[in-house]
Parts: sequence; structure tokens; C-alpha cells
Amino acid sequence: LLKKSNPLWSFFSSVKLTIVLLVLIVLVFITATFIPQQDTAQKFVWLTDLYHSPLFYVLMGLLSLNLIICSINRFHVSMKQYKAPYFPEPPGIFENLPQSQLIIANKEMNKVSATIESSLKAKYRSVRKIDTKKGRVFYGERGRFSIFGVYAVHLSILLIIVGAVIGSIFGLAADINIKEGESVNVVNLAEGKGIHQLDFSIRCDKFIAEFYENGAPKTYRSDLSFIKNGQVAYQESLLVNHPLTFEGLRFYQSSYGTSPETKAVVTYTMGSKKSGEIVLAAGDTFDLPEQNAKVTVLRVEENIMELGPAVNLKIISPKKDIQFWVFKNIDDIKAANPGLLSKVPLFNPGLFRPLVFSLNRIEQQYYTGLRVVSDPGVPLVAVGAALMIAGLMIVFFWSHQRFWVRMEQEEAKIRISVAGRSNRYNAVLQRQIDNLCKRIGQELKA
Amino acid sequence: MSHLMILSVVTFAYFASFVLYLFRMIFGKELWGRAASFLAWAGLAAQTLALLLRWKASYDLGIGHVPLSNLFESMIFFAWAIILIYLVIEWRTKNRSIGVFAVPLAFLAMAYASISPDINNRIEPLIPALQSNWLTTHVVTCFMGYASFTVAFACGLLYLLKNLDKSNTEKPSGFLGKLPSLVMLDALIYQSIALGFVFLTIGIMTGSIWAHYAWGSYWSWDPKETWSLITWLIYAIMLHARYVRGWRGKRLAVLAIIGFVCVLFTYLGVNYLPGLHSYLQ
Repeated sequence: LLKKSNPLWSFFSSVKLTIVLLVLIVLVFITATFIPQQDTAQKFVWLTDLYHSPLFYVLMGLLSLNLIICSINRFHVSMKQYKAPYFPEPPGIFENLPQSQLIIANKEMNKVSATIESSLKAKYRSVRKIDTKKGRVFYGERGRFSIFGVYAVHLSILLIIVGAVIGSIFGLAADINIKEGESVNVVNLAEGKGIHQLDFSIRCDKFIAEFYENGAPKTYRSDLSFIKNGQVAYQESLLVNHPLTFEGLRFYQSSYGTSPETKAVVTYTMGSKKSGEIVLAAGDTFDLPEQNAKVTVLRVEENIMELGPAVNLKIISPKKDIQFWVFKNIDDIKAANPGLLSKVPLFNPGLFRPLVFSLNRIEQQYYTGLRVVSDPGVPLVAVGAALMIAGLMIVFFWSHQRFWVRMEQEEAKIRISVAGRSNRYNAVLQRQIDNLCKRIGQELKA
Repeated sequence: MSHLMILSVVTFAYFASFVLYLFRMIFGKELWGRAASFLAWAGLAAQTLALLLRWKASYDLGIGHVPLSNLFESMIFFAWAIILIYLVIEWRTKNRSIGVFAVPLAFLAMAYASISPDINNRIEPLIPALQSNWLTTHVVTCFMGYASFTVAFACGLLYLLKNLDKSNTEKPSGFLGKLPSLVMLDALIYQSIALGFVFLTIGIMTGSIWAHYAWGSYWSWDPKETWSLITWLIYAIMLHARYVRGWRGKRLAVLAIIGFVCVLFTYLGVNYLPGLHSYLQ
């Protein structure tokens, strides 16, 4: 009661404040969607991160306070409604009733009384009766709990806000790019907040991107191994919409790309002997023991001079040092340009006799982009969401409906009056009253 | 007959239905209204069939998915939901007056979907992010919400029209006299907003659950998410103004119109802002 006289309390308990705050929050949101967020090149930095700005936090804080105080303030009113006595009926409720809510019965008192009671019990709860000077009055009701629906909705909003705050304080969001075949144990925290060391490492065994005929992406899949203490602890494929969980962290397939480094797959033949495939990036070297020579890859090109993939090799041997190109499509190039190899020896893959090199293919190296998340606020938000839906259903589709039926002796007959009250929708209440009258009438005839 | 052909017949049927509702209003004969309702019901049945055929056709192409995956399909579903919700209200209230505002909105959605050069009506395969069981529930609940708000908007327009008449003359003139009472329109605005609000809430939540599985965060402040929240807040303000401050009638009708503008921006306007939900790219 002391609270009531406190001006601060009455300020926060006003619905006008709620509406003003909601309008302000809407204005913040509209501004935020029209100014690209997180663009730090802007002059007014806070304007580009409105969702994390002090202005937004203050508004949300005030809204939460307003919500709590309004709810506390109204709660005793609802409690009073909840505990409302069944009798006496609201004054004047049986006066000026339309004909449809009046029934005249020709039966004896006890039978009519039993009929009314059973008709009420068929549909309603807390059915009881009382004898008054003006006759016997019956009571029935439904949906008493719906008075509290609105508190469920308000509580759910607070739960969601608390869940979001917990998530933003204790949660973690990070990104990692892992090249095929490599493993990583450090992730980059979102919004440039530094790095985070994991106590396990993640290896990308394979990344697959499949496409439809029209070029739209069909599947992104990363085959991952989670390695702890040098051993593979968990191995699974990660797909979009199907996150993986390991050690409390959730992993999402969020992007992919090709690393700038392309690799060439090269073989060479010497007479009838053919080497195995050698996979090389620019700068790599390998030995040719028979020739006592060393090969260095100078360049790996996906398409050079419109002649397709090629690799530029340099061979250092005791006899001589040479440099030449090995084209993947050398047979086609020779066919299109007769006599090319004698004119441009640089294009001859067999320049280092007796070896003949060939380029089998260029390999694009994929990396997979993963998002790593841990959000301890999620369960609270989920409970809040479920509670909100339940609360809204109660608020909109239920109401507290109360019915009073009076039975009075009128000369030789018995006059039955049916009336009702609801905290919402009179249309729904009227349908209930009509059905109740119909039921009583039918049971009296039976 | 292909589903696209059925859809163009349906578009025509909704237009014809609108013209008949207009005749009913102008000439005051219920016969026109009965014909209009019949065409709307027939259109709804044919459109349901067309949606099922499109669904089947996607399986025949080997890329089977529910027809709710791009702007064209969502627009068609939007029109379907507007007609469905309107016809249910017409049937429950036994009053055909709202038809003259609700049916043309469904017609416009259908016509825009088939005429706009930005909208592609081909059945396209689903990209990885859309390959989720949440697609159906998210889209259906959101669009049922949008459609309810559209019906509330139609009732709001009708309310203002009727209110205009009341302030001008004592006796309701011609067709305006045939409109539902202001009290009834007020109740219809409120009820369709309440229904839309529940659908929108479920739509936002199913979207959050989906985002949680697809993007790793139940809320990313993507413009579409933010605008759906703005729409939600506008209707929340309206409901509080009604419950606690007793706003009724004209103010509610104006708010129903403002809310509908927000719905349209959430649905279409947001596509011109950068974000994760853009259909146009």
C-alpha cells in the first residue's frame, strides 16, 4: 500500500509508459533496419550497432521493469476475480432477460432442481446451489484459470529477455575455416573479439559442395573428425540444418570456399616406366634421384594464355638448369599449332630428357567454414516461447464464464431464468447461455 | 491442365467474385452476393487443387518440396489464406459485406504473382538452407497471420467508410446501410487481429527454431526478423490499448491499417534491404 503512493512506482505501473516504450523500441528497430548495422566506417558508431547500444539496453530495461511492476500491480485484482464468491449473483442479473433465457416448467420442484443441476454439471465446473428468498439459485463456471493467461505471457517475455542476456554474457559465437585434410584447435570469436582455444581439435576430412543443373547449390557437407588427446573421439558429417554437438559446443555448416593455394597433380614417364602421382603447390620441390636432380614448382595456373591449366617447373641438375611449362592439354595444343614444340621449347614437357612430364589435373583446395556456438540462454528462451504460446492461447481463446440459474415458484409453474457474465467476448457467452437453455429445456421434456 | 493454367483461371474467378460483391453493394440485391460467394468458394477449391498439383509436379521433377519456397509460391499461398479466412468469417457472421474489400486483395496478390517480372513461377530446387522440416510450419503460420491481418485491414477500411457515412447523414444511405454494424466491425477487427497475432507469434517462433538449427542463432537481427518483431509490437500496442485503455472503433480501425502497412513491409519491402531472407537475389 505504501507502494501505491510512491510516485516512481505509479510511473512504472502505467500502461501509458508501456505504450510509449514500445513505440520508442519500434522506432529504434526501424532506424536500425535502414542504417546498415555494424558498419564501423560510419561517423555515429552507436547508430550502426543499435541492437547493442546503451539506448536499446535502457529501453529494454525500462520495459522489463514496467512489465514486472504492472503485473504485480494488477495481480491482486486478478486474485480478487479468481476468488470471487459464487453467491450472491451480481445484482440485477436476472432482470430484463430476453424471452430466450426464460423457461417455464410444469414439473415438480425436486425434478426441476435435479435437471438444472445435471445440465450445469454436463458442461461446467464448481456447480453449486443456494436457497434464497426469491428461490433456488444455481451456479456453474468455466475457464477460471484464464484470468492468469496474461501473466503467463508477461512472464514469458521476461524469460526470453533473461535468456537473451544470459546468452550474450555467457555464450560463445565463433567462426573457423578448415582446409580439407587440416585440423584446427583455435576459433575466431565473432565481432572481432579475438580468438578462443579449444581443448580438442577439429579435422576436415572432406568438403563436398553439390549443385543442381541450374547451378543453385544442393548440398554442402563437411566430414569432420573431432580429435581429443591425439585420438579421434567423434566422426560425423555436418550438413546445413543439421548441426553437430561436441563437448557442449554446437557446430554449424555456415560457408565454404576455395583456398588461394591450388595444387597440381603431376606424373612423369621415363621410357616405359611411369611415376606415381605427385601433388604439388607453388614453391614445393621434389627429387629425381636417378638424374640426381631437383624439381621446383614455380607456378601453378588454372588457365594460362587461354591454353588451360599449366604448371611451371624448374629443374636443377649437375648437367644443366632448365625451366619449362607443362600443359594439361598439351596434345590439343600441339594439334592446333603444328611445330609448336620446336619453335617454343619452353612448352615442351619432355625438355628434360629422357623424362616426359604430364599434368593430370589442377586441384582446387576447399575449405569449410564452420560456426561454433554455445548459448546457455537457449533453454530459458525455449521455455519462454512455449509459455508465451500457451499464454496467448489462454488470453485469446479462453475466458472466465460464469452462469447463474434461478428457479422460482410462480403460481402453479416453475420459472427458470438463465444469466451469465464473462470477463471477455459476449458473443461467446451468449452462445453458451443459448446452449444451456436448450439443454435444460430438452432435459425437462425428456 | 497445368497448375499454372488453373491459377490464372482462379485469378480471374477472384476478380469476377470481387465485381459481384461490388454489384451486391451497389444494387443491394443478395443474389449478387450469393454468386460472389460461390465464385470465391469455387476459386478456393480450384486453388487448393492447383497447389496440390504444383506439389506433385515438384516430385515429378525429382526436387520434391512443399510449394512454399519462393516469392511466387508464398504470394499464391497468401491469396489462398486471405480467401480462406475471409470465407470462414463470411460463413460464421452470415454477412457478405467484407468481401468487397477482402477478395480484391487476394486477387491483387494473385495478379502480382503472375504479372510482376521480378517473380519467377518456375518450380526450383531447394537450396541447402531451405531443406528443413520447419519450412512448412514457418511459412504456413506466418502467412495465416498475414492473411488474418489483411482481413482486419479490410474490416478497418469498412469501419472508416461506415463511420464517414454516420458523421455525414442521419440515415444510412444506400449500400452503406447494408454494411455490418460498427460494433460488429469493431469485434471483427479485434478477432482477426487476435487470430493473426497468435499465428504471427507461432510463425516468429518456428522461424527462430529453424534459425537455431540452420544458422546457429535463434535471433540474428536480420531485417526481416526485426520487421516481423516491429509488426508484432504494433499489434501488441493495439491489443494493450484496447484491453487496458479501452480503445475502440475508429482508433482501432486506423491501427489495423497501420499494422497492415507493417505486414506489407515485412513481407515485401524488406526484400529491398540487405539480409538473409531476401527472395529477390
